[in-house]
Formats: sequence, structure tokens, C-alpha cells
Amino acid sequence: MDIRFNQAEARYDGRIVLHPLTLSLSERRVGIIGLNGSGKTTFARMINGLVSPTSGSVTVNGLDTVKDLDRSRAQTGFIFQNPQNQIILPLLKDDIALGLKAQRLPKADVESAVAAILSRFGISHLADRRSHELSGGELQLAAFASVLVGGPNILIMDEPTNQLDLKNRNLVERTIGELTEDVIVISHDLPLVMGVDRLLLFHEGRIAADGRPDEVIACYREIAA
Amino acid sequence: MKTLYHDGDTALHRLSPRVKLIGLAVTSVVLFWLHSPVALGIAAFASIIVFSTLKLKWSEIRRQLRPLVVTLGLVCLFTLAFNGSADALTVFLRLGSLMLLAAAVTATTGIGDFIDEITLAAMPLERLGILRAADVGLAIGLVIRFVPEVVSRYKTIREAHLARGLRPRPLTVAVPLIILTLRSADEIAAAIDARGIRRQK
Repeated sequence: MDIRFNQAEARYDGRIVLHPLTLSLSERRVGIIGLNGSGKTTFARMINGLVSPTSGSVTVNGLDTVKDLDRSRAQTGFIFQNPQNQIILPLLKDDIALGLKAQRLPKADVESAVAAILSRFGISHLADRRSHELSGGELQLAAFASVLVGGPNILIMDEPTNQLDLKNRNLVERTIGELTEDVIVISHDLPLVMGVDRLLLFHEGRIAADGRPDEVIACYREIAA
Repeated sequence: MKTLYHDGDTALHRLSPRVKLIGLAVTSVVLFWLHSPVALGIAAFASIIVFSTLKLKWSEIRRQLRPLVVTLGLVCLFTLAFNGSADALTVFLRLGSLMLLAAAVTATTGIGDFIDEITLAAMPLERLGILRAADVGLAIGLVIRFVPEVVSRYKTIREAHLARGLRPRPLTVAVPLIILTLRSADEIAAAIDARGIRRQK
């Protein structure tokens, strides 16, 4: 991945939620930790173009997230905290097809892409199931499928193991480990981010630590104490 | 997220969504054109037959029809009070037939199919540059998807009142319901954007 923040700042109702930040990310697996309200979700949303910088710029693989929003967004998939809100249509296969239909692909291509992505995550048997019938882990895998069917090469996840029991947490962690796409994961689940190539710690809208997971987590423990 | 669609393999399930939607639209026009109580009575009977072919369980019928029956009852009461019994009977038979047929179409057509058909129907307007056809399909699909969601959220808030020993009142239920619905709508809108379902250009 090639993500660059160039003096990018975010304000909400005049309040700074992310101080001007210059940073580039090129590692395959990046983790983000920090206390609630520290600016980590805003940072991740800026990469997908869901939040526009109030000053400065953000580029993803050379594409500006404001000037070239559609193309830059096509590079990044985003998994939200609550997968229930991520699944837009009740039937899983309909929901996964939705993003492809928006690209006006032929029906046969849509159907084969849906079948392929369901098979990739081992959830072909869930195609005709309604999302409210799925377990937390299945729902999270369904969210992965709905996002990755569009072919992004970077996947951003906001608290992917939030509210999952141990079995489903392990399932999601295993799935994240097997992803071939580059990954940015925000989490309070410290074991989940232990294996990343680079870990960022956000505190009060700034990066308080940036480096190897063990060093950054030690710093996080000091802040949280 | 619950849905009003029911899996099945009835004749209505097999019928193309386009035929069902066009059939429903034509039937609505015919029902509003009819005024004879006998003709409307026959239409109502036919609607009951159509709905009964779905072979739904009582609990499913109750879930599907309860909000419609309440609305129909209110409309009929107002008509009875202001226009008399003959008009109230006409309204009851006409709207009752229409509601049963619409419920039958909803129960046998998936939201994905709805969206596809509505998007296709809106294509001429897109060619005229008036709107984006996909937006119309998505908007209608979301409305259909959200009705049961809002009902389920209402039940949760009501139960939260009862669990705290409070009597649910319209205002104390409506305020959290609106706030929760808007918050969830924000997140769903963000998910639609993030997934590129509604492109900027």
C-alpha cells in the first residue's frame, strides 16, 4: 500500500479531532490503537474518503481522496464496527451483489463474482440466509465478502473483533491473517495487533507512538494507566 | 434485521417480479375505478384467495398484516365518521384488497429483485438527466428494508421502559427511536459510500 497524509487535519464542529499529520504507510499490515476519542477512527475514515481533510491532503496509491474520490475509494474497503449496519440488504447474496450491480456489470458476471467471494470465505452455504440469522463471526465474514467483492487492495477494519465471543474472535483473527490484501486494523484487542508490521498509537488527535507492536503497546499501557 | 419476504416455491414466488409489480399497479388502478360494493367484494375475495396461496403460518400472517390492518381500521373509522357507512365499506373493500395483494407481492419478492426492477423502470428518467436510476432503486430498497428494522427498534425501546418499571409514552419512545434510527442511518449511509454503491460521478 502507499498511503500518504500530507499535513492532513480533521475538524468536527470547529474542534480539532486530528491535528495536522504528515505520514506515509507502505507496510502490508498496519495496526492502530488508542483510547476512545483519540482520533483513530477519523484517521481510518480519511483514508477511505468518508472524512475529508479540512486542510492538507490524503492520497491512496497516488490518488487524492477528495479530488479523485471514486477511484481512491475503489482501492480501499472499509469494515465498520457494527457489521449489522454494513449489510444493507437482508439476503447475503443480494447484499454482496449490490456493489457490483452499481458498476453495471452483466448479471452472469455479478453471480459468478458473488459465488467466488462466498467460496473464498467458506460461507457459500450462507448465500440465501438473512443477515439477522447469522452469528457474529458469520456476520463479520459476510461483511468482509461484501467489501472485498469490489476488489480493493487495502482493507481497513474498525474494531473487527468487537462484541465477538472467543470462538468467533478466533475465526475472524484467522481470516484476517489469511487475507491477501493489505490490512489496516483499528482495535482495542491487543493480541490482534501484536502481529502487524507497524503499529500506530493515537492520543488526543496525534500520533503518540509509531513502530514495532511491543514498543507501541508498552507506550499505550503507560498512557492508559 | 427482519424482512417481510418469505422463502417459498409458490406460483407467486415463481412469477417474475416485473409481472407482479405491473400487475399490482394495474390492479390498483382498476380497484380505484370500481365503485360497486359487489364488484369490490369479489375483488376482496379474490385477494384473499391470492394471499392464501402463500401458505403462511398464522404468526407470519399476523406479522405481515398487523400494521396494515391497523392503518386500514383507522382510515375506515375516519371515513365512517365523516362520509357514512357506504363510503366506509367501499374504502374497506378497496384498500383491504390492495393491502392483501401488496403484502402478497412483498412476501414473495426479494428486495434485490425489487431494486433491480425499480432501477430498470427509472432508466428513462436517467436518460433524460432527471435522476440516477440506481439511486431510486436503492432508496426504495432501503425503505423496504428499514420498516421492520424500525419496528424492531421500537419494541426494544418499549421493553427497556417496561424493564425499568416505566410506562411507555409516545414522547419517551419517539425521541430515542428517532435518535437511534438517525444514528444507524448515518452509519448505513457511510457503508453505502465506503462500498462504492453510490458513486460520486
